[in-house]
Amino acid sequence: MSTKAVGLSRDLPAGRVMPAHVAGQDLAVWRSVSGVLSAWDNRCPHRGMALSHGFVRGEALACLYHGWHFDCDRHCTLIPSHPDLTPPETIQTRAFSALEDGGVIWVALEGEAQPSDDLSGYKPLRTMQFHAPEDAVGTINILADQPVKTLLNPWGESRTLVTTLIAATASIQAMKDATIALETLRQQVEARQ
Amino acid sequence: MSREHALNDWYAVADANSLKRGLATTKLLGEDITVSGSFDAPVVETTDGKRLPTQVKFDHLWTTLGADPRPLFDIPEGDEDGRTRVPCGMVRVKCSPLRAVENFLDIAHFPFVHTDVLGAEPHTEVEPYKVEIRETDDEVWATKVKFFQPQAAKSAGGGITTDYVYRVPAPTTAVPPKHEAQDIITIFVQPRSETECDVWPWMALYDFETPYAELVQFQQLIFLQDRSILENQRPVRLPLDPKMEIPTRADLTSVAYRRWLKKRGALYGASEGPL
Repeated sequence: MSTKAVGLSRDLPAGRVMPAHVAGQDLAVWRSVSGVLSAWDNRCPHRGMALSHGFVRGEALACLYHGWHFDCDRHCTLIPSHPDLTPPETIQTRAFSALEDGGVIWVALEGEAQPSDDLSGYKPLRTMQFHAPEDAVGTINILADQPVKTLLNPWGESRTLVTTLIAATASIQAMKDATIALETLRQQVEARQ
Repeated sequence: MSREHALNDWYAVADANSLKRGLATTKLLGEDITVSGSFDAPVVETTDGKRLPTQVKFDHLWTTLGADPRPLFDIPEGDEDGRTRVPCGMVRVKCSPLRAVENFLDIAHFPFVHTDVLGAEPHTEVEPYKVEIRETDDEVWATKVKFFQPQAAKSAGGGITTDYVYRVPAPTTAVPPKHEAQDIITIFVQPRSETECDVWPWMALYDFETPYAELVQFQQLIFLQDRSILENQRPVRLPLDPKMEIPTRADLTSVAYRRWLKKRGALYGASEGPL
């Protein structure tokens, strides 16, 4: 199972959580206030609530439903309905390997995350969701006169997360042009579906 | 699954007072049905024209698809003189009907989901309470459930510690709270399928001052907040395998409810196996 790009580092500031997907696995990807990145099964072990709807408190992600806190080691540290209880060690979320490289957040469902592309010489442009399958989103390299690199992460049968990087030397104007071209391409690809 | 068991329960499928608006189509246990007629002569039919039994109770129209339905439960307090009876309309939720009931039995979520209304941090603690499955009438009861609430109902002036009783007389109905002269707030859940339901809240209150629209608006707000949770739980079907979801002491009612469903074979909207 390969490592997939789930978004740009700059789109997940400290103290925030976002939903993500890798190969059919729903994920809650979050960053603690001190900056620690985690990618978990998007499911609270208590009552199955999506943790991506939760909120970050310091170094813990709290579930929106009952406020159970889980620390960066994925252990439950607080059950608000019983604040004096030390939660059993066995209560924990399921974590996946995640890392950041080239301004991109990478997640692997099995083993250690390993970026699939060498991103040196590029800088992050943006992530977009295409309502189209991966094979319909193939031709992005021709969209601008600047070299771009695109990372495709299919999400179900009919959606693809497209993370795009552009040459590190690209000017602001070139980045604007590439963004507009990307948006046009998205509309064209989706119109064909 | 276990639609067979579910067929023989009664379900609220309309606000009885809305029948005057004419024919409506809805869905019950995966089957399309129409609701028409009047308050005094309601008609519920399947799409192939089969008439289903009806009764009007608690301001709602009830029907059943089964050949041998269990009797519809009673809520004796609802008939007491001097109560305002408030049907609150309907909220459609894409969730298991059983998850909707379980959420209604849960108080620990109040501070996080109904923040500053039904609960607020730091008042998150759930004190020990009592849960039993009453063998005589085969119902789940939770008693002595106490919780601090900033505004328990539209009629509540400020923060109070509310003393709740919860009662589950049928797999898709929950009746809290009931404590002598307290307000009654219930939900009747109409299972459209195993993964979608229409929730009909109904109240019998000692509130004669708040306008009807405000009372309904308050309940609608609460249920819309609950919907944001209910539509994001996985698996969608309520897991009855105790290994699937880890409970804590505050979940005694939920644990008893799940056991009771399993024992009854009321598995429509439940998942028995792993994810």
